[in-house]
Parts: sequence; C-alpha cells; structure tokens
Amino acid sequence: MSLMNEHRFNRIAAMKPATKRAGVEPRGYVPATPEGADTLARLLGATLQKTRHGEHLSVRRWFSDASPGDVTMAALRLLAPDAPDEAADQNNWLFLDTETTGFAGGTGTYAFLIGIAWWDAGGLEVEQFFMRDHCDEHSVLGTLKERLAERSILVTFNGKSFDWPLLETRFRMTRSISPKAPRAHLDLLHTSRHLWRPRIGSVRLCELERHVLGRNRGHDIVSDLIPQIYFDFLRGGCAEQLVPVFYHNQMDLVGLAALTGRVFSLLAAPESECADALEVFGVSRICDRRGESSRARDLYAHAIARVLPKPVDGTARAALARLAKREGDFARATSLWMELRGISREGLEAYVELAKYFEHRMRHPKRAAELIGEALAELRRSRSIDFVPPARTGKWRTDLDKRMARLRNKCSTGQNETLLEANLTESRGLVAESK
Amino acid sequence: MPQSLAVRSRSTLEAVRDALGSLATLDRTGEVLTAIKHFPAREAKFAPMPEWVRPELASAYRAKGVTQLYSHQALAAEKVREGKNVVIVTPTASGKTLCYNLPVLNAILENPDTRALYLFPTKALAQDQLTELHDLATRLDDSFGVFTYDGDTPGDARKAIRERGHVILSNPDMLHTGILPHHTRWLRLFENLRYIVLDELHTYRGVFGSHLTNVLRRLHRIAKFYGSDPQFVCSSATIANPGELASRLTESRVEVLDENGAPSAEKIFAFYNPPVVNRNLGIRRSYLNESTRVAKEFLKQKLQTIVFANSRLHTEVLLTYLKQAYPAPPGNDEPIRGYRGGYLPGERRAIERGLREGRIRGVVATNALELGIDIGSLDATVMAGYAGTIASTWQRAGRAGRRSGAACAVLVASSSPLDQFIVQHPDYFFGRSPEHAYVQPDNLEILVNHLKCAAFELPISPDEKFGGVDVQAICDRLSEAGFLHKSGENWHWVQEAYPADTVSLRSVTSDNFVIVDVTGNESVDDGISGEPEVIGEVDFSSALTTVHPKAIYIHQGQQYHVEKLDFDQRKAFVKRVNVDYFTDAIRYTQVRVLEIADEDAIAGPAMRVYGDVLVRSQVVGFKKIKFFTNENVGSGKLELPENEMHTTAFWITLNRSLVASLDYSLSDRQAGMFGLLRALESIASLLLMCDPRDLGTAIGERPPSPGVVPDWHEEAEIAADPNLPRDYFEPNLYLYDAYPGGIGFSEPLFRAYELLLHRTRELISACSCTGGCPSCVGPAGEKSDKAKEVALTILSRLTRGA
Repeated sequence: MSLMNEHRFNRIAAMKPATKRAGVEPRGYVPATPEGADTLARLLGATLQKTRHGEHLSVRRWFSDASPGDVTMAALRLLAPDAPDEAADQNNWLFLDTETTGFAGGTGTYAFLIGIAWWDAGGLEVEQFFMRDHCDEHSVLGTLKERLAERSILVTFNGKSFDWPLLETRFRMTRSISPKAPRAHLDLLHTSRHLWRPRIGSVRLCELERHVLGRNRGHDIVSDLIPQIYFDFLRGGCAEQLVPVFYHNQMDLVGLAALTGRVFSLLAAPESECADALEVFGVSRICDRRGESSRARDLYAHAIARVLPKPVDGTARAALARLAKREGDFARATSLWMELRGISREGLEAYVELAKYFEHRMRHPKRAAELIGEALAELRRSRSIDFVPPARTGKWRTDLDKRMARLRNKCSTGQNETLLEANLTESRGLVAESK
Repeated sequence: MPQSLAVRSRSTLEAVRDALGSLATLDRTGEVLTAIKHFPAREAKFAPMPEWVRPELASAYRAKGVTQLYSHQALAAEKVREGKNVVIVTPTASGKTLCYNLPVLNAILENPDTRALYLFPTKALAQDQLTELHDLATRLDDSFGVFTYDGDTPGDARKAIRERGHVILSNPDMLHTGILPHHTRWLRLFENLRYIVLDELHTYRGVFGSHLTNVLRRLHRIAKFYGSDPQFVCSSATIANPGELASRLTESRVEVLDENGAPSAEKIFAFYNPPVVNRNLGIRRSYLNESTRVAKEFLKQKLQTIVFANSRLHTEVLLTYLKQAYPAPPGNDEPIRGYRGGYLPGERRAIERGLREGRIRGVVATNALELGIDIGSLDATVMAGYAGTIASTWQRAGRAGRRSGAACAVLVASSSPLDQFIVQHPDYFFGRSPEHAYVQPDNLEILVNHLKCAAFELPISPDEKFGGVDVQAICDRLSEAGFLHKSGENWHWVQEAYPADTVSLRSVTSDNFVIVDVTGNESVDDGISGEPEVIGEVDFSSALTTVHPKAIYIHQGQQYHVEKLDFDQRKAFVKRVNVDYFTDAIRYTQVRVLEIADEDAIAGPAMRVYGDVLVRSQVVGFKKIKFFTNENVGSGKLELPENEMHTTAFWITLNRSLVASLDYSLSDRQAGMFGLLRALESIASLLLMCDPRDLGTAIGERPPSPGVVPDWHEEAEIAADPNLPRDYFEPNLYLYDAYPGGIGFSEPLFRAYELLLHRTRELISACSCTGGCPSCVGPAGEKSDKAKEVALTILSRLTRGA
C-alpha cells in the first residue's frame, strides 16, 4: 500500500484548509519573491535595501508633528518607576510598532512589517522595514538592530507584552543577530488604561487618537485582517491590498508619538485646565499605585471636587478612605465609609470595613454584627432591582454570612460586657455625627 | 529486621488472612477463589554508592537514610553516567526515581549549566516528584533549582522557572503546547539540555504514545537547533517489549535494565470470581456488589483499602455502595472517598493527604491513582474488574504494601470475557508478561498535525526528516491548503492560529465538555438561588455516552440528571437528583471499506484482511439500569450528531460457502457471528495491550464487487436488539482502531490472526455456560440460544488444518 497517495492525503483532516479564502487561489508553486513585491515598492515609493544579511524593502516618511515639551522626572517616574534618568531625553526615543502574522505569539509568528519613528528636524521621521517573504527577515532585523543602537529608549503602546517579546523571539531565532537590550522601555498601555478607560471604555490606540487627541485617521484597515492580507500577498496576491497596512502602521506611530506627549503633560500637571475630572482621577490612581500617598490623596480630592460620575466618585471616595485607614486617620475613614454604605461594590466594602473597625478597633462586635446585618438586608433588597450582577451577590452573600456567623458567635460568648457597653455609646455618637 | 517491625507485619498478615478466610468460607466449590498466590518477602541486593558521586550528594542521600544502593540502582546510574539511553524496568516501590535522580543531580553539581527535563504522564506525578527533589535541593543548600511547569503554574512564576530551573518537571501535553512553541524563551534549557527522563513509559502506547513520539521528534529538532543532544532515561512497568517501545518512542537505541535489587514485602494476590447464580445462562453475581463485599471485609479488619474501578461510572457506583456501609460519623470527615479524573485539583490533593494521614480509610479510584502518586502505604487493593492489562494490574496491586510488612491484592473478575480468561488462566497472568505496547507514530493524521507544529516552531528545511514519511510531499500539500509557505528553500508557517492548541495528545479533539450544576438552592430563606457551578468535565469522546440528554451523571456519589447537552458550547447542564438507576448509552456503528492493504485466504473458507475503512457511529439511545439488581427498567431514544472517522481495521470475511454450510437458522447464525466478534474483540485487546475502548467492532456485508459502494447497514456494536435478522451473504467481522487514521493495531492482528483465533477458541470452549454468557460470546439472546455453538463451529472451520 502506498502511504503517500493522493487518496490518503485528501482524507487527512489535518490537511484541510483552516479557513476558506475568497479571491486568491492557493498555489503549489511560488516564485522566489512574491510577484507583487515590485508593484508594492512602486506604490509605496519604497527602496530595496541591501544589507549584509540580505535585502528588504524600506519606506521613509517625515511628518510635521511637533515634539512635545520637556518630560519631567516626576512624570517619568509615574510612567516607569524603574527607568533611568536618561529615559527623559527625547533625542534617545525610538517609537516602535510592528505588524505581525498573528496575535497569539510563539515562534511561528513573524513581524513582517516593523515601523520605527523618532523626532527629527522639528517633526517625526518614520521608517518602515518590510520582508517581501521570510528570506528578508534577517535583513530587516539586522537593520532594526542598528537603529536600536542609535536610539536606545523604546516607546510603545502595548509593546512591553507584545511587540518587543515577539521581536526578541525573532532575534533569537536568527541565532546570529542579537541587539543590545534597550536602556529603557516606556510603554503607554497601562497608564492609558488608568487615564482613559473610565471615559472611553476601549483603550485601542485609534480610539484614543479620536477621543483624546481629537484626530481622525480617516479610512483605516481593521487590524484583525492584516495577517491574512500578508499571507495572500505571499501567495502571489495583489500588492495594492498591503498599502493600507503600511499606512495603518504609520498612523499608529504618529498617534503613539502624539499620545506620548499628552500622557507626559497629564502626568506632570494633572491640575491644569485641560485635564478633565476622570483624567485627574486616573493620575491619582497611578500615584496611589506608585505609593505616592499624599499626592494621591490631594488628587482624589481634586477629582471629586471637579465632579465625577457616580460610580467613579464612589471608587475615589473608597480609595480616600483606604488611604486614611492606612494613615491611621480613622475619623476620616469611618465618615467616608458611612457615606459610602449602600448596594455597590464600594458600598458593601464600606460595611465590611466599618464592621472590622468596630470589631477590632472598638472591640464592639455587636455593632459590627448590626452593620453586616444591614449589608445583608441591602443585598436582599437589591436582588429585586438587579443592581449587582447575580454572580457577584452570591460571593458577597457567602462572605457576609460567614462574617455574620463569626460575629454572632463572638457576641454570644459575651466577652467583656462592660467594655462593650462603654464602646457602644461612643460608637453611637460617631454614627450620629457622621450622619 | 527490628522486632517491632516483624510484629507489625505479622499482624497485618493475620488481618489479611482473616479477611480472605471469611471470603473462602463461601467458596464451597473452590470456584470462587481461583488463585491465591503467595509472594514471600524478598531480600535486597545492595551495591555501594559509586565513587564518582559527589560527596555533598552522597551525604544528602545519607541524611535521607540511603547509604548504599540497590544493585539495579547502581547499574542504572552507571549506565546513565556512561551516556547510554536506558529504560529501567522494575516494579512499583523499587526506588526507580533514584536511578535517574542520582546521575542527573550529580551532573548538575559537576556543571551547573546542565539541564534536565522530566516528563510524567500526569501532572499529579510531577507534583509528587517535586516533593522528593525539593527535599534533596534543600539538603544541598539549594544548589540546583527544580520546578514543575504545567497548566497550573502561575504566569508570574514562569519566567523565573525558565531561568533558574535545572530540573523541569512537566508532562508531554505541556511540552507540546507550552514549551516547544515558545522555545526561544527556554534558551537556557535547550542550549544545555542533557537528560530527558520519561517516567511510566508503558503508559505511552496507542494514541498517546504515537503523539509522544512526534512531540519528541519536535523536541529533537529544537535541541539540535540549540546545539544539544539529550540522552534518554526511561522507566517502565513490566511489559514484554520495553526496549522496543522505548526505541520506538525515542527513535534511538535504548538499553533495557530489568534486574531488580529492591526488597519486597510479603504479598498475597488472589483472584476472586463471583459465584455463579445460574449455570446455564452463565450468570454470576454482580462483580460490583462482590467487590464491595470484599472491600468491606478488608475495612472490617481495619485495613486501609483502595478499590479500583475501570470507569468513572463504576467508581461512583462503588462509592455509593461503600458510603452506605460506612457513613461519616456526625461531624467527622467521610471515611470513604472517591478519586477520579473529573474531580478538581484541590479536591484531589485533599484526598491524597487524607490517605497519607490515615484519616481516609478507603478510597474508590479510577486509574488516576494507579501511577506513583504518593498516597502512603495502603494495606489492601481490591480491583473491581481486570484493569485491561497485566502491567496496570500489577501497578494497582502495588498501591498496597509499599512500606508495610504485608499486603493483599484481590482481583474481582467481571463477567467480561477478558476478566474470565484471566481468572481462569492464572498462569497467563503470573507467568512472563505477554503484553506488547504498540505505537504508530507515522499515523498520518497524527504526524501531519505535529509537522504543522514543527513548522510553527522552526521553518522546515529541504533535507529535513520527520518520521518515515516524505516530508517534502506533505509540506507541498500543506502549502496548498494554506498552512505553509515556501520562502527560499524553507517551509514557513503562515497561519494566525497556533497549531498546538488544536491538537490534543490524549483524545480525538481537545474539546472538553464541562458539567454545569444548575440545581436551584431553594432552601435558602430569601430565595437567592444557587449559582451555576462547574462540577467536572468529560472529554469529547466520552461526552456522548456519559452526558447525553437524560443521562444520569454521577459525581462523588451524587447523581445528576442531564437536563440539556449544549453540543456547540460543549456544556452539559445537570440537576441533582436522587433516583435508583443509572444509564448506559447504546451506540450504533457502520463500517465501509475504503482500501485493502493486504488480504489472504484462510481456512473456512474465509479471508483475513486489513486496510482502511470509514466508520460512522452514533449514540441512538440509552438504557436505564437499576442499582444493585441491574434490571433494565426503561430506555430512551436520542438524536445526537453522527461521528465519522477514517481509520484502519482488521477483518475476517466469511465466504458465502462457509455461511451457507452452517446448518442453523438465520437468527442463530447471526447471533453466532456477533458472539464470535465479541470474543475476538476481548482477545484482541488482550494481545494488543490496549484499552478495550481503543478497539471498535462491527459486522457488515462485504461489498458485492470492488468499487461499488454498498448501502449502509446499520448494526449494533453488540447485538443489542436485532429485531430484524439479516441474512449476511458474505459478512465482514471488523475489529477497527477507534482513532482517526488508525493506531497500528490492524497489521499486528493480521499477522497474529492464528494466535487470535486459537485464544478465542480457548476462551469460548473453556467457558462453563451452555448457550452463551457474558463471559464468552455474550448472553444468550431471546432469539437464539445457539450463539456459543455457532461461534465455536465457525471457529473450528477457521482453524481447520491450522
């Protein structure tokens, strides 16, 4: 029996195409470089670069965007606490964004188009390296290595977890080209999340451009389609389809450069006129995370004063209460918790915090039990109006029930009745006061 | 031996004797306890610690109480040090881990760059090894790093593990999906990879083994890319061909080390055949009930007992029985627990701990506890049904008496032909192992999937070898299908998807069905309902038979009624119920011959053939079976998706003249053929050392002439309800590989057909029933009581003159 016959191959499920593609016919024979490469070069005004590792296509374009003002050390520390001081030097920045053959990562994912950009001559110089097929990869990576040697501070959007690890993998796969590690890597993703997710929801770069920077890219390609466009090109598909991919990559770099300016100015001076309340709240959260408690406290208060949407306002107050608790300012903390009580995450947390306060600080388990009882009652009421998703209520219920059982147990063993009574009066007073 | 130990061992032994004694009192005819083998304690053979062992390592072992080695440990360590690939074949609890740990750790201490990768068939086994190696690492001032790396490893720990792990404990699945596709992150491991340890090698047979060979082919490519050439150290339970299996899996020369210098405790091994209730019908008492009874005898003697069942369902049934006999004392933990694959990891760890600490007195388990998970020293093993292979049976028996002075193992035979063959032929079992482990790594379906993974990991070069196939031809085809692209000379992966994610090493698809409990919790005062809770999972292939709509799914002894099976979302929604029955699915199967690989006329007249077939099967209904009495109390129809599979099969075609010469009625002839097929299947799975589920059976008509596609004949796998007797013109009796593409059983069956027929004849003729029973050709049906007679007549024709 011939194992290798047509018949058999056709029955192997593993050989069935994963996706059905319209337009481009799959082909067995492929020329040395895809047929569309020359057309593509013409359309883009790209040049063929010959390097000691081979050849690739290169595109250069200058954009008249002005570089932002100076980057303050304080702002730099908020974005990247571990970065060296020289990371603030914008002459050393290299913006980076790649277009890849997939988003899952791993050794079989290629960065077929690598875009870099830097401030130059009062504007932004963009350079793109493109591999016409896999043979060009070493040449592309070799050139990238040279550019990295010239400017050693990487600036990316989600490049810390995606683009750069992927490039590291690509470099390792060559077994010969190994760039020096960047001196610092400034990634905007997490900071952008803090600053803009409450307002915009999505923190995709193009959304931020539109809603934060007020820029409109015009017609842009859906990034999910990019890998398939490249695969089609490899198999002899038309070059025209790739042109928008280059444009998309350029726009990403230009947007990234502009957004970087906006991020640093916000981090440096969040109280300034141009920041809205949610952005101030975002900066306060970042300060909070970085352990700059007093700055965080001021900014939370500042954000609340500028009027935050209801749920965010609760979060800000809860954060303030937590900071107060940490500093031992229980008067402030309890009064904030008293206000917060209610059927929301912060509201239920407030009940628990108050209960903990009365149980452990005031040694008043009875009052603590009362508070937990109120919280449970709130939960029951809320069920009818579906305020909190049911999956949440269950978790809260079990936690509260457990706490309740423990407190009841503690109350019934009746430890130190007199102290308890004494505290009761004190705490009643406090509750009245806070109301 | 210290006095105290001797006393203890005698008392365990007495308890065992008492338990067996009370079982024997019921055995008036001597047919119940068919064998009682007594294995005396065996003295250890020692060898000194080799001189090349670094002093700090020797003293670490000394501190653990190891001052000298067993002879096989010394030999193995020596061979590994010489750079040989070895497979160590020794029984449970013979100290095999030292065989590889000693030379590997020594090499790491000599050169801290050295790296080793240990692969275990299950995560739990890796966890177990971690404890042992951690202990050694601590004694050696943490001069080497040892970590498990599997699906449970938290994301933030992974980076540190990749950098600092000298010994990585993982499993083939994780190597396949988590390590190889990200090999650049494992630079240090692959640049310095010197040892690959494959533990429990015998578990890598059939589909799993065929996958593993391909994963190892990929590992070889990556190692070569980074300039390393690792050496293999394998361990295996006793099988007939450990060396062959090891060389097939690793595709290198492997030396077999099967001398054992470890001491062993006194052990009693008994075969228990449930008493016959009706001799004519060959009906025996339910082996599940009898296993419960045997377990209760041991528990009564205060012996910590493990009960093995062969399926999840039976685990739960036995657990239900034993829990009724030993309910939890108020306020205390359950003394009897279940343990099987579908339980969540936390639950399993707690049960393992309970067993080690002795709080749990009895455990009912599937093969999940068969391999070397440390559950401490149990006193007795009860096996409800034959484990399917001799190797597994010994491993299960080995769970008792790892350290204590004496132990007992009892195999309770079910009425299946395989079980009956084993208990009635004790020599087959206790003699030299006849079991061969087979793999078929060049199964095209499996190989192509791994070739795709390989291309993802490293471009495929024009001179590359991958198994025994034409790599370039396959790459051409994969390129046409849009998976690969040739740039320059090499083939590159050109898909967004991550190929390893779609390939499961263990079953046909990587899809699991999750079981969601949607029982409302109405007892809560305020009416807040219980949230849907995931209570377990089942793999794709068993989902249709265990969680079909209206099935009773049993988890930790609790019954659940399957309300809905969401096939697309891979979810089964269940509600807690309390009923007195369980369900058993009915599956229908059809086979069509696609291509004949080889055929040969044999006596009969008949043909033996093997080749490619198309198998279609469908779960069409289910039976409700009452607990304890096993009565059939109802049934239901199901409309579930049909499964289609290309695979390979071995079959016997009974020529027209043979069928015509059988002087029996139509239904007798048909019953005889089904009966014969059933007996053939039992013996085939015995010879192939395969899980009975890896082999499927069907009867179909031979096509009238080649090339003409016949109509589909719908036949039950077992003649469940042949309401319409069909006159087979020239019937084909199929034994097919229950895996797409075939897993290498057909050709060995074709070659060994004489042995297959003779053993089958032995099985049927040795059975004491008159007209057929579950232990040979299946129960005598309503339509015919001549199944046994006809099957034997056909067999005598087939073996005539041979």
